[in-house]
Amino acid sequence: MNQRYRFILQAFAVLALIASAFAVKVGDPAPGFTAVDSNGKQQRLSDYKGKFVVLEWHNQGCPYTKKHYESGNMQRLQKEWTEKGVVWLTVISSAPGMQGFVTPSQENDYLKTMKAAPTAVLMDPGGSLGHLYAAKTTPHMFIIDPKGMLVYNGAIDDHPTSDQGDIPNSKNYVSMALEQAMGGKPVAEAATRPYGCSVKYKD
Amino acid sequence: MAAAIAQQGTAQHAKVEFLARQTSVKPGSDVQLGVHFMLEKGWHIYWINPGDSGQPPSFQWHLPPGFSAGEIQWPFPERLQPSKELVDYGYRGEVLLPLTIHTSSSINNSASVEFRAEAKWLVCREVCIPEQTTLHLTLLVSSATSADQQHAHLFEQANKLIPKPLPSAWKTSFTPTKDELILTIRAGKPITQAEFFPLEPGQIDNPALQKVQALPSGAKITMKKSDLLLKPISTLRGVLVIPASPAYRIEAPARQPIQ
Repeated sequence: MNQRYRFILQAFAVLALIASAFAVKVGDPAPGFTAVDSNGKQQRLSDYKGKFVVLEWHNQGCPYTKKHYESGNMQRLQKEWTEKGVVWLTVISSAPGMQGFVTPSQENDYLKTMKAAPTAVLMDPGGSLGHLYAAKTTPHMFIIDPKGMLVYNGAIDDHPTSDQGDIPNSKNYVSMALEQAMGGKPVAEAATRPYGCSVKYKD
Repeated sequence: MAAAIAQQGTAQHAKVEFLARQTSVKPGSDVQLGVHFMLEKGWHIYWINPGDSGQPPSFQWHLPPGFSAGEIQWPFPERLQPSKELVDYGYRGEVLLPLTIHTSSSINNSASVEFRAEAKWLVCREVCIPEQTTLHLTLLVSSATSADQQHAHLFEQANKLIPKPLPSAWKTSFTPTKDELILTIRAGKPITQAEFFPLEPGQIDNPALQKVQALPSGAKITMKKSDLLLKPISTLRGVLVIPASPAYRIEAPARQPIQ
């Protein structure tokens, strides 16, 4: 077998393993992780057992992310839900050299300028957290309940566009899911198609 | 004087034209129009189901009174893979998106009619840019119309890529299992190569390999379920692309898994 062919086969085998090992399905336990935030602090999912956790995939150069930040929509959600005790973790999986990649200090400047209020921003330039959750787009939203189960996987709202003007007419899936889950009710729309730019992974 | 006056939209990464298949409009008859995208090298736009990321082009039609627009006939797309996590469905190079306009006989006394379209699309390479333009098209009104020599071949090319209804002798169904959707096609002959493009997002896992198994009378295509699929589906809708054959529209009903 020539080397190139063997390499392709191996690459396929690895891909298949990754694809099958990390299914992230609503109703299943959310995969645990440890990541470093933009202040250099270690953040573990297990630290937040007992709380609702929101994961928000982010790329500040993406038109769909800009829709929700330049309108102030994402910041409003962060403020509203963290004030109610929800842990909000923004995740940046853009690889170095790709759109949305920032250094920790650039990210902290961005948070200040945008008046963003997540609990922390997880720096994931290697993409391992992104691949662990199979995060596809920016934004892509996940909600984990206090027992560590995934209760929402999908879009931020029901208008898959980059137009800010659509926000007032949109049904916000994240707020609806949090209201229902925090009220002890099942989440009615627990999985939706996330929309936006592709996450700018290194692979 | 040219029979049709088309205005070209200018955007950063795509040239867009509004075209007609015929040279003029016959009052009360249908006319075929199309939006022709010519993309900068390396850039792509999206199919009606964009796959894991992206957004399909959208249009707002402004037509003469009494006219109405049919649906866009989307040519089947290409599988585009920005990373191992994602597969998108879209077009590179150039693509014509045709649609039929139903005209009104009340234009008998007009010399010409004007069509306008507000077009919005997302164009991506590694990065994505939303672009938009307003397209105009003026056509003469005439009781005798003929094909526009310049444009007819573009419509014919596009027509080859537009999915056709399934031949009446063919049958399709799908069987859901725990992790997979198995599409069975009965065509009266073996199908060795095929690819399924889902019309609904969130049913199949787009990046997962589709396993095609030839049967004496057709094929079986095994696809991984999407993580987003939480409820059973009754119909699997999509497009079946078979090499050296027309593409077909599929509306496969669910069959219970065989125990």
